[in-house]
Amino acid sequence: MKYIEFKNQIIKIAEEKGLKDYELYYTESEDISAEALMHELTKFSTSKDQGACFRCIYEGKMGYASTELFTDTEALRIVENAMENAQVIESEDQVFIYDGKDTYQKIEEANTTEPSAKELVSTVLELEQRLFQKEEKVKEGSEAFAGYGLVKFALCNSKGLDLFHSYNYSQLGAMVMVEEGEEVYNGYKILTDDFKNFAIDKLAEDTAKKVVETIGSESVETGTYDLIFSSEMMATMLSTFFSSFSADAARRGLSLFKGKEGEVVASSKVTIVDDPFYESSFIKIPFDGEGVATYRKNVLEKGRLVTLLHNLTTACEAGIKSTGNGRKLGYASAVSVLPYNFLLEPGEAGTKEEIFKAVERGIYITALNGLHAGANPTTGDYSLSAEGFLVEEGEKTRPVKNFTISGNFYELLKKITLVGSDAKLNNPEGGVCFGAPTTVVEKVSVAGK
Amino acid sequence: MISTVILKEVLHKALSTGADFAEVFVENTKENVINMIDSKIQSVNDRVISGVGIRIFKGTRCVSGSTSSMEREDLLACAAKVAGAMEGLPEGKEIVLRERIFGDIHPIILVPSTVDKGYKAELLKRGYFAAKDYHKDIVQVSANLLDVDHNILIANSEGLLTSDRQIRTRMTINAIAAKNGENQTGSCSPGRRMGLELFDEIDPRDIGEEAARQAITMINAGYIKGGKMPVAIENGFGGVIFHEACGHSLEASAVAIGQSQFAGKLGQQIASTKVTAIDDGTIPNAWGSINVDDEGNPSQRKVLIENGILKEYMIDNFNGRRMGKNGNGSCRRQSYQYAPTSRMTNTFIDNGTDNNEEIIKSIEYGLYAKKMGGGSVNPATGSFNFVVTEGYIVRNGEIKEAVRGASLIGKGSDILMDIDMVGQNLERGQGMCGSSSGSIPTDVGQPLLRVSSITVGGR
Repeated sequence: MKYIEFKNQIIKIAEEKGLKDYELYYTESEDISAEALMHELTKFSTSKDQGACFRCIYEGKMGYASTELFTDTEALRIVENAMENAQVIESEDQVFIYDGKDTYQKIEEANTTEPSAKELVSTVLELEQRLFQKEEKVKEGSEAFAGYGLVKFALCNSKGLDLFHSYNYSQLGAMVMVEEGEEVYNGYKILTDDFKNFAIDKLAEDTAKKVVETIGSESVETGTYDLIFSSEMMATMLSTFFSSFSADAARRGLSLFKGKEGEVVASSKVTIVDDPFYESSFIKIPFDGEGVATYRKNVLEKGRLVTLLHNLTTACEAGIKSTGNGRKLGYASAVSVLPYNFLLEPGEAGTKEEIFKAVERGIYITALNGLHAGANPTTGDYSLSAEGFLVEEGEKTRPVKNFTISGNFYELLKKITLVGSDAKLNNPEGGVCFGAPTTVVEKVSVAGK
Repeated sequence: MISTVILKEVLHKALSTGADFAEVFVENTKENVINMIDSKIQSVNDRVISGVGIRIFKGTRCVSGSTSSMEREDLLACAAKVAGAMEGLPEGKEIVLRERIFGDIHPIILVPSTVDKGYKAELLKRGYFAAKDYHKDIVQVSANLLDVDHNILIANSEGLLTSDRQIRTRMTINAIAAKNGENQTGSCSPGRRMGLELFDEIDPRDIGEEAARQAITMINAGYIKGGKMPVAIENGFGGVIFHEACGHSLEASAVAIGQSQFAGKLGQQIASTKVTAIDDGTIPNAWGSINVDDEGNPSQRKVLIENGILKEYMIDNFNGRRMGKNGNGSCRRQSYQYAPTSRMTNTFIDNGTDNNEEIIKSIEYGLYAKKMGGGSVNPATGSFNFVVTEGYIVRNGEIKEAVRGASLIGKGSDILMDIDMVGQNLERGQGMCGSSSGSIPTDVGQPLLRVSSITVGGR
């Protein structure tokens, strides 16, 4: 059956069971993607998936159950399972089905161009061809990919909320391999945009150049260096450690920011904002996973921790209002805490070239690997394999790789000395975008030769 | 889950624009997770993952699609969409589906979905409080018990019709120790292709204590100074070194298109003669085991490297087309939403001939990596990195103080050559391996071994 029938069925069952507080959260996604390799279209895929999660307060506890199969049997099962699951829960957290009378910011529904399968295919084929025209050294096995995705989500609950939102965007990317002697070098670049805005030729050129530039890279001498994080890598660090800013993590002792609101926890150059309506982002969301209206807020202001990110439960515990960050990782997951567009705000240090001049000697970091394993948000410790360029006498010089950078994220925030004026957003990951400008962190341990 | 009549209709529709092969993958998975934190059961979640993945091939082109609906019209619409990406006329192939039963070598004694959730909660609490009560510096413990009942059915235009039921159980315990404004973590997360009888084999209390022991060891440790040095890597999850540094580069998805440093090297020496490595999806009740892979090929035991010589890759039918080889039971996908590709199952370095004590004694100054965390690799260049979650300095042949913050980086082809001692205590550890076809359960493994020199990240 269709979602609308399924929803009505759920409401009917929940009412029959005498439930007073319940919610149905629904997501639907449509994706198409294509990949070109060895001068032909090698992969094409299309998907249309949906899922619904029912949760209810039963005997004071919140139980969850979800399904991708919309049948009468499943409707009954998820209601009954959610009630049964509630009975196993011991947590004494206050739980809520939201009845706030919020005003939601009006933002446009999914409004970017949906490419046809044909357009998607011709675009990847053209992009792949052009990679080889840009640099002679580009090797077979280099590839191009493109995709389009539409996400719809809806939330309805027993308190009268009936919300809907959607967004969509396209991505175009290339992976380039070059070979020199025995060594293979590779790198990729992925753009997120409205499909009609993609500049194929420029992407081919930028990706090929980016990889060719790394030819001949060697390790660096072990020591302590000033690091210049590219805007992309600084945003990657934020994405790795954002849970430090979650009130849910903090109240569990999983973040060292617990109880630090109002204190200086970072260099005065650091202002971090979470903006659900960030102008250049494709992720713009008016309500969170509990139905609370979202808004822009400073998390860190000139080094001072203003607020952690909250959902209804953590806010209630702290005696404040939710910051509208009660989001779900996927439709089936429990409400946790997640940002929207989470950015280190631009500073006054100028372009990356101006920053190289100011730093004089250091390493410009352009790639970090193994973040899911080499970085621990609970402790803040990181030890990551990195790639980049040496900066000597104020200029970017030779490429470097096979070294690690190590330290602690909480320390890193205090050691930020320069923040560029060039903030950029990384590609969205799971409905969240991270962004940052070029950023200098002084005195970081580097292990290489 | 879907009638043979509809399966045939969908396959025909998928072939309608000239594809030479079509496949339908049907999934119904039930998942239950119980979470515990702050000494209380925090959440209980039941989930049903259900849908259909359709793939067609024409030569070396693959088109795939998925839908979470099981209804005939939606399946035919999905097949039509997939077919729409090819241009041509059907070959008019007759499809006769004949069921094949490969058998199940993984007995399940206690099917989790038939067990009361209160009982599962009790098992989890036993592990939880063993961690919490281990030491006063353990300030937080989070734990979960996951059980999955994954039912798959595969039908293809060559007439194959087969199915498998994969039941898995896993308990994960994370412990956090705090002291002087710092946090350190420890974790332990054994899993099996088993029911709840897993906890007859492994006492949940041991899982909790192990997680807490690591956290306490590390909160009292200093930081390692980075540099190049010999490293002894302990058994079990230490095998992540082979998984990352080499395993991914032996997957056909990288090999077939020249994106692997080991492409075209069959029969050549790619590792030190001490190294024999195996991928074995047929180990009874092992976490990464499967009866059939997600293309319906029976699982196999494959010797990948024998005494340093490259013998075999992990191959799926599609990438096998480019390589002129058949799939060898290595095709896997997280769910119907992911197009499947060649992946690992239970992959490990086999026991060697060196004495474990001699391995430690041989190191004048270096690192003993007792517990490894995860890692990642770039298959094209072979660059890998992984993190040591519990490490110790070795000085004059003896294991000394614990150290934090170590990571190992290098290039797969180099490290394989630099493994110069292989011990005799092979054990496997469990992980979730993420790649293009999603997150799948895999075992890694090895005995204690020595790498003569590797870059250790530290501060």
